[in-house]
Amino acid sequence: MSSCLGRLLSSRLLFVTGKGGTGKTTLALAFARAAAGQGRRVCLAEVDNQRPSLTEYYDFQPGFQPVAVSPRLAITNITWFEALEEWLGRFVPVQRVVRLILGNRMVRLFLDVTPGSREVVTFARLMQLLEAYDLVVVDLPASGHAISFFRVFSGAASLFPAGPVRRTMDEALLRIARDDTQLVLCALPEEMVVNETIETWQKLRAVIPELAMPLVVLNQGMQPVLTPHEHSLLERLAQDLGHGSHQAQQGPELELVRAGHWEAEREQATGLAEQRLQDETDMELLVAPLMGATGGAGTRVRRMEALLLRSWARSSIRQGGL
Amino acid sequence: MSAATPQAGLAELIRLRGIIVCVGSGGVGKTTTAAALGLEAARRGRRVLVLTIDPARRLANALGLQSFGNEVRRIELPDAAEGGELHACMLDTQATFDDLVHRLAPDDETRRAIFGNRIYRVVSDNFAGSQEYMATERLYDVHCSGEYDLIVLDTPPVKNALDFIEAPGRLARFVDRQIVKWFLTPYDEKRVFGRVLVGTSGVVFRLLGMIFGREFLDELSGFFQAFRELMDGFHDRHAAVTRLFADPGTAFLVVTAPNEPSVDVASFFHDELRARNLPLAGFVLNQVHRCHDGELSAPELLRERAAALAVDLPAHTAPSLLARLDVAHKRLRSVVHEERPFVDRVNAMASAGYFVVDVPLLDRPIRDMRGLRDLSARLFPDPPAAAP
Repeated sequence: MSSCLGRLLSSRLLFVTGKGGTGKTTLALAFARAAAGQGRRVCLAEVDNQRPSLTEYYDFQPGFQPVAVSPRLAITNITWFEALEEWLGRFVPVQRVVRLILGNRMVRLFLDVTPGSREVVTFARLMQLLEAYDLVVVDLPASGHAISFFRVFSGAASLFPAGPVRRTMDEALLRIARDDTQLVLCALPEEMVVNETIETWQKLRAVIPELAMPLVVLNQGMQPVLTPHEHSLLERLAQDLGHGSHQAQQGPELELVRAGHWEAEREQATGLAEQRLQDETDMELLVAPLMGATGGAGTRVRRMEALLLRSWARSSIRQGGL
Repeated sequence: MSAATPQAGLAELIRLRGIIVCVGSGGVGKTTTAAALGLEAARRGRRVLVLTIDPARRLANALGLQSFGNEVRRIELPDAAEGGELHACMLDTQATFDDLVHRLAPDDETRRAIFGNRIYRVVSDNFAGSQEYMATERLYDVHCSGEYDLIVLDTPPVKNALDFIEAPGRLARFVDRQIVKWFLTPYDEKRVFGRVLVGTSGVVFRLLGMIFGREFLDELSGFFQAFRELMDGFHDRHAAVTRLFADPGTAFLVVTAPNEPSVDVASFFHDELRARNLPLAGFVLNQVHRCHDGELSAPELLRERAAALAVDLPAHTAPSLLARLDVAHKRLRSVVHEERPFVDRVNAMASAGYFVVDVPLLDRPIRDMRGLRDLSARLFPDPPAAAP
């Protein structure tokens, strides 16, 4: 399990995506911190998020210029207008002309709606960040949008036979095809989420076969602890107490049985999700145990980081021992 | 609305309104909620269409269908009241867009020019927001057909909550009269001034040509030229859809779950809908964990019962299960505690006269009609009000 963690932690460009609410940002931040802990200079980037999710972890809103949050970790929000300004500045060296172009309302509308222009300037900015950092972790928007993001570089390229847009697209494709560029998916043990995760994996593979997708993290999973005997005793207790029927006696005994059912349901869902993700994709799977419990966002990130490092250590011991 | 309970408020919506728009972040049960509302309204005798734009085919799953295309499917309901019908439709963005162009284009030549244009293919298939735009387009269309008493629209999960409301405007801007005119001017002028482009627009245009490539601008210009014919139609429809959203016969329902990201999105919708004077009706708070709030000891409460039931099982089974139940209950309690502030936030938003229907986490995930009926029973615990 998770022999790819070493490669992920030593990659240069790492995308994290998944269905909304699966814990993408937590995972992205955990990867960023883990790599920074290994001595790498890391930048964690959100993509033009109007409501940056990183504010949950740091009490400020990151802007276009990366801000250091620890000695080797900086965070940024790649706002598209600033990215565009920077990108234009490379081809139009005269600041005044850049401002003339961007000051034109029609041009702004045009750029706002032209297919691919957002993605192109965003990627150009990512490549620029790669010059200053060893690793750039990108907290991509939810999976559907992540697919459109990558589709731009494979699909829309034919619209631009030449020119700087085309050149940036070509550079981006080369960068995506490198084996130190990787994407990690984040999922939950819920049927709909698993469906969407598998679909995202399939679509990304079709849209951008060059992109390496070695790992899916199953967040909030619950490892089975009940033995078959314990299971059957739980069922007997439930029946004895009338659980599920209308005459069920309310009371603390039933509450305990309900809690047991709740946990058993999650265990079962985790097992089902694991199996489907393994059968229907070729990604390695890492199960992150239920994070509920105490502590807020910061605790979740630290626990996820510890899990990544632990799994990495375990897999390297195993490999070394062979 | 002065309903006695939140559930009664929801029941009034499906009884009286013509359009219910379900909004909210992904993963909060929006699709199943939309389907459950539609199901109940049909059972109570209305002709209902549930319209979804779901790429993950969740509605089809929930309704027990394998999948369905752009066409409307009728779902058999043996227990529907007199006249009640349930229909469902999953939106195909590309087909809807093509259909719209087909209807708005004045002649075959324009149609061919648009369908053959590469920009059109990319814009209609891939444009950020074209899904949302086409959902509203389709909504308007079925509304005008008059075939349904109630249309429930399940909106797509959005990156930024604004997209759903803004996207139609953004795409409409793409075919904005001014921007099209501005882009076509250098080309019209070409004929007059030869190859010399004049004015600021000329300078900027040359720069754009340098950056995006001449071929792209030519293609774009071709797109705009063909689209010019359709523009009035587009704008009229966009205006009509905007009016339809604000109509008192429409209701917006914010669907959410008790966790930070979804409640953030819910609160964003609350603010935006109010700011735009759109008819927000209330909230459905899904997936709420419940449990007895207090220390419980399984070994104390269940020892004898478990021992009696475990006579044929290995000796350690009962004590070990009881210890697990203690842990499970503690864990469940801590989840309930974690959710508390988010439940409170939703209730606080609702104090301004909106209802909040909260739905405890169902024992099983919804994957078929039975699950949908369970959800519907939670949303509508009371029998329908007698007809006046």
